[in-house]
Amino acid sequence: MALPSVDIRILFFTGKGGVGKTSLSCATGLALAEAGRQVLIVSTDPASNLDEVLGATLSQAPTAIPGAPGLFALNIDPEAAARDYRERMVGPYRGILPAAAIASMEEQFSGACTVEIAAFDEFAKLLGDPAATTDFDHVIFDTAPTGHTLRLLTLPSAWTEFIASSTGGASCLGPLAGLEKQKALYAATVAQLADAGATTLVLVSRPEHSALREAERTRGELAELGVTNLRLALNGVFTAAKPGDAIAEAMTARGRQALAAMPPGLARLPRTDTPFLPRGTVGLDSLRAMGADRISAPPSYLPMPEIAMPGGLDALVAEIAAAGHGVVMTMGKGGVGKTSVAAAVAVALARLGHTVTLSTTDPAAHVQDAVEGKVPGLTVTRIDPEREVAAYRDEVLAKAGGGLDMAGRAMLEEDLRSPCTEEIAVFRAFSRTVDEGKDRFVILDTAPTGHTILLLDAAEAYHREVLRTQAEMPDAVRSLLPRLRDPAFTRTIIVTLAEATPVHEAERLQADLARAGITPFAWVVNQSLLASGTTDPLLAQRGTYEVPFIERVVGNPSRRTALIPWTA
Amino acid sequence: MTKLDVYDPAMCCSTGVCGPEVDPALVAFAADLKWLAEQGITVQRYNLGTEPQAFAANPQVLKEMEAGMDRLPILAVDGHIVSTGIYLTRDQLAAKLGLAAKPKITIKADGSSSCCSPKSGCC
Repeated sequence: MALPSVDIRILFFTGKGGVGKTSLSCATGLALAEAGRQVLIVSTDPASNLDEVLGATLSQAPTAIPGAPGLFALNIDPEAAARDYRERMVGPYRGILPAAAIASMEEQFSGACTVEIAAFDEFAKLLGDPAATTDFDHVIFDTAPTGHTLRLLTLPSAWTEFIASSTGGASCLGPLAGLEKQKALYAATVAQLADAGATTLVLVSRPEHSALREAERTRGELAELGVTNLRLALNGVFTAAKPGDAIAEAMTARGRQALAAMPPGLARLPRTDTPFLPRGTVGLDSLRAMGADRISAPPSYLPMPEIAMPGGLDALVAEIAAAGHGVVMTMGKGGVGKTSVAAAVAVALARLGHTVTLSTTDPAAHVQDAVEGKVPGLTVTRIDPEREVAAYRDEVLAKAGGGLDMAGRAMLEEDLRSPCTEEIAVFRAFSRTVDEGKDRFVILDTAPTGHTILLLDAAEAYHREVLRTQAEMPDAVRSLLPRLRDPAFTRTIIVTLAEATPVHEAERLQADLARAGITPFAWVVNQSLLASGTTDPLLAQRGTYEVPFIERVVGNPSRRTALIPWTA
Repeated sequence: MTKLDVYDPAMCCSTGVCGPEVDPALVAFAADLKWLAEQGITVQRYNLGTEPQAFAANPQVLKEMEAGMDRLPILAVDGHIVSTGIYLTRDQLAAKLGLAAKPKITIKADGSSSCCSPKSGCC
């Protein structure tokens, strides 16, 4: 079987960014529609490329997909939903309240919290209200990258408990206050998720150690939430057509090793294997090919074209090293290898004799794995959201809780249970790390795209808050955003693969950075098969497919591009 | 029954833990309001961010806001504004409301932030 079998009405796809959740959910939806079912595909990913994969312009209402009768899709853009929500709350008071009051209200609705809440609200409408999807035999959620997905899934119970335990409206309901009325809808959403008779969850992974480890972590966390109706979908399973090609053999061997070492919890799940596709999964024809049990390899090796290729990382590293200190951040959609590029830059700088800290906010934190062996001068640290939250709570309670009576302390503890607390705690850790770049190199391996943008948005919101208040403020926080925007201090490297979706997503990320006043320092094309020298027919076909994407990346505004070949 | 209305600036929570740094004055104020409620005062708190209708419906409050956003927070006892731009201490609250001010809570004095300055956003 190439696609998960579907015997349940509601289906979720989840997994590390870049494993193919969107492709698999679309291929599954298309197969169901072609079997005569009415199917709705929903994306709640802030970095969604559902439009691109299905070749249709989508909105927040179900849109029929041309060329696929019975197939509908809708895209929930949490940022657009947040803007709508903000306008619903603020709009009626324009012209009634003073302009300064309107501006301060808008500021309160500009944070990451509002985006999360607005997204969840849309999600709950679809899942918790049967009437919203009554026309469809199946509803397929192409969910966001793993961290976001988990927040989405854990939110219902968090909010439900929170609303139930909050008294008098005096506490930290914050932007949620306007949604309190929807308690029944949230309850229905929680019930739906844990109901194995109504919902199936597909863990999507590639046959790679890191993706499988992430899938196992998700499985464990879902099990804790009472979600146990799981399937495993392995995407991109590759087998060398014939022996003799080092790249193809290495790829085959790595896949086999990763599967052999699959955690037992995952190995027990019903599983489907989707083969490696040489030409991407954009468009209905590609999605149909994904559902086929066998793909037809080209009969023989066709040489890959020769194009002017960008050089390796050395030139970038030399330019960074000349600055003597500062922050380097690698950014890109999950799964493109931000971690390995960050590690490679960190190791190269350390080998040149610099003091380097390599730090990650990626919840999966593979940095330690990526830096094999110890390099003098290199330190690896991790921003662990859970630990940061605990430290923040302790600090607040020690600082502000000491003089309070029992009731006051209880109220403070309740406010510390709010979802904002994690965001603030992580932000503080992030600003500390950036601060260290004053006298050394700090290399940050940031979390996947959507999360990264939220982090920067949060940084901006807090930055404005900092200027507005005179409360005591760590210097690290005060100077964060100017530093992030200073090209002589912070260098952002956009990492991508030479494929349609990753390049497209990286361009969106670049545009988002531009809005935040940040221009990337360089682009890195990672894991290029075109530059690998492979002669495997399938991999060479994929390598040829990379050409237009590499040429497109070389034209990026930073005017610096490096390319890293796929190595055996 | 005496009623205290508090018109807060837009902020995401009343104790201030949602800001980049906790403001001990806000934490103490939230606790003081709770104490007032225990003394039989009806306490109503409005956040500009989430309850703008309360601000829009009160001409006195609107007038203050037009004079400047630094007039927030506004405290009103039985509909009469008793303070602007400051979170009163427990003693001050008790005096405005005609209560005996005890038991008093104490905030560890760290010298810098026993109360919000009138210009601060307090969150």
